[in-house]
Amino acid sequence: MTLVFAAAVARDCFTLDVSIRAAPGEVLAVLGPNGAGKSTLLRATAGLLGIDSGHVELDGVTLDDPASGVFVVAERRRLGVVFQDHRLFPHLRVVDNVAFGLRSGGMPRAQARAKAARWLARLGIDDLARRRPGRLSGGQAQRVALARALACEPAALLLDEPLAALDVQTRAEVQGELREHLGGFAGPTLLVTHDPIEALLLATRIVVLEQGRVAQQGTPAEITSRPATPYVARLVGMNLYAGRAQAGVVALDGGGAMVVPDAGDGNVLVALRPSALTVYAEQPHASSARNIWAATITAFAPLGDRIRLTASGDQDVFVDLTASAVAELGLAPGQRVWLSAKATDLVAYPAPVAG
Amino acid sequence: MTRRRPSAGLGTPVLLFPPALVGVVFLLLPSLGLLLRAPWSSLGRIYEHTAVADALRISIVTAFEATALSLIFGVPLAWVMARVTRPGMGIVRAIVTLPLVLPPVVGGVALFLALGVHGFVGRYLYSWFGLSLPFTQHGVILAQTFVAMPFLVVTVEGAFRTADRGLEEAAATLGAARLRIFTRVTLPLVVPSLVAGSVLCWARALGEFGATVLFGGNQPGSTQTMPTAVISAFQDQPENAVALSLPLMLVAVVILAALRDNWLRPIASS
Repeated sequence: MTLVFAAAVARDCFTLDVSIRAAPGEVLAVLGPNGAGKSTLLRATAGLLGIDSGHVELDGVTLDDPASGVFVVAERRRLGVVFQDHRLFPHLRVVDNVAFGLRSGGMPRAQARAKAARWLARLGIDDLARRRPGRLSGGQAQRVALARALACEPAALLLDEPLAALDVQTRAEVQGELREHLGGFAGPTLLVTHDPIEALLLATRIVVLEQGRVAQQGTPAEITSRPATPYVARLVGMNLYAGRAQAGVVALDGGGAMVVPDAGDGNVLVALRPSALTVYAEQPHASSARNIWAATITAFAPLGDRIRLTASGDQDVFVDLTASAVAELGLAPGQRVWLSAKATDLVAYPAPVAG
Repeated sequence: MTRRRPSAGLGTPVLLFPPALVGVVFLLLPSLGLLLRAPWSSLGRIYEHTAVADALRISIVTAFEATALSLIFGVPLAWVMARVTRPGMGIVRAIVTLPLVLPPVVGGVALFLALGVHGFVGRYLYSWFGLSLPFTQHGVILAQTFVAMPFLVVTVEGAFRTADRGLEEAAATLGAARLRIFTRVTLPLVVPSLVAGSVLCWARALGEFGATVLFGGNQPGSTQTMPTAVISAFQDQPENAVALSLPLMLVAVVILAALRDNWLRPIASS
């Protein structure tokens, strides 16, 4: 039951051209900024939009292939879709919303309702069965939408920003549950989101989409430790620098150099955690750190129990400090400081080949 | 001179009040006249009069039949107008709007020329099926449908246009075929407009005079409806004309009340 999307779709302002594959039981997150083509990918997979070239395939069956003229309409794709805005039918009670797909498949009403009720029970919302969608909270509507998609026993699940429409508190509640239900689903799950937290929490693998292309793919751990593009680095809160490595020194593209012993040779990316940096108010004279450079503080922003400081020098850099460190050093915007990073905190890896 | 503290906005220029008052009084006067001069004491006797009772019954029945016809053909037409994006839809829209702006009497003449026994379509209906429509109750119903159906189509079309397509997409991903999506998702979504459109259509059919009298005739007991009966009665028994007008007035008031909140505003905004 593998889901394959290897296709190009031209839209008004960009072309989506990606090749991805989601295996049974896998939760594949497609992560990208707005306008990267996530919705297009989801709609084309669901059959709400035709592709221009390539093919879409589920469980070895071609769903869309312009070259051979195959196009399986949405209602025959056996895909369960959970939309961001839930899209529950306002005129039907919750139980009939969940039974809708079963009834469409020709199941008699009583049987469909009984089965829908079992799904509601499974998601812990059987007490909502007789409500109208207009009287549901965001979290409840999200559960109903999931129950409705799962009740048809789809071959694959498509989720469009499942948590985006929920308030912060409900998100935390639903997140855990959703993870559990997705874990219990046998088919592949495609999860489209612009929220890295959502992707990191729910996905077993992440594909990063930028301007219609796959910018990076890997496990959540790989993505967070070795971001391949500035966008991904920003998402996961890392400093990322591109440069050319030779004999343990990386000449950065923007000017300056960093000592990274294991960098190898050639074009590399260097990732640096903001919390691994040390800030000095005056130029340090004796330090074991190999990388010391001057920068000017441009901004402060609260970040959990830390303060994230932005500084610009040869390279812009984020530094996470405790509030007390900021106070003790008397740091202020516009101030000139010295930054240092131990060579062992710098992670260098080959830059992905463009395209 | 002190002014009352305005509760909202800047207030209305004083000069606008007199003409506004004249306008509203003018609109109210005829209804008032009808109520003041109605032969209240002899109403019961007049309604027992067979021609009057027949006109009432025929009016109500034919208006319902015209509404039914409008629903059967008008709702699909409204859907096509709202969703089909082929060239030529502008012409369809013009055809649907025509009866709204055409004087009904002209509509009656036109119906006669098309569907009359010698009409360019009617002659075949007559020679092939022996069907003669003018001056029959079927003719009355067709004339009312011609004039009233656009009200339904226009109202429902707006609703189809603004109905949430996302819900239709969701239904498709749940395995619903197109017809099922239409009957189980789209139609229920537009029920308010369907009701409003039907009420408008029925009211228009009930009050229809020009096309009806030309194409349906004015035969007491078979094709005489209340509006045509009013005209006949007005010439020889004015009391009866007043008595016949009262139920029509009552219907108008009931419809106003029914459409007041739930139905009238959505129409106005769509």
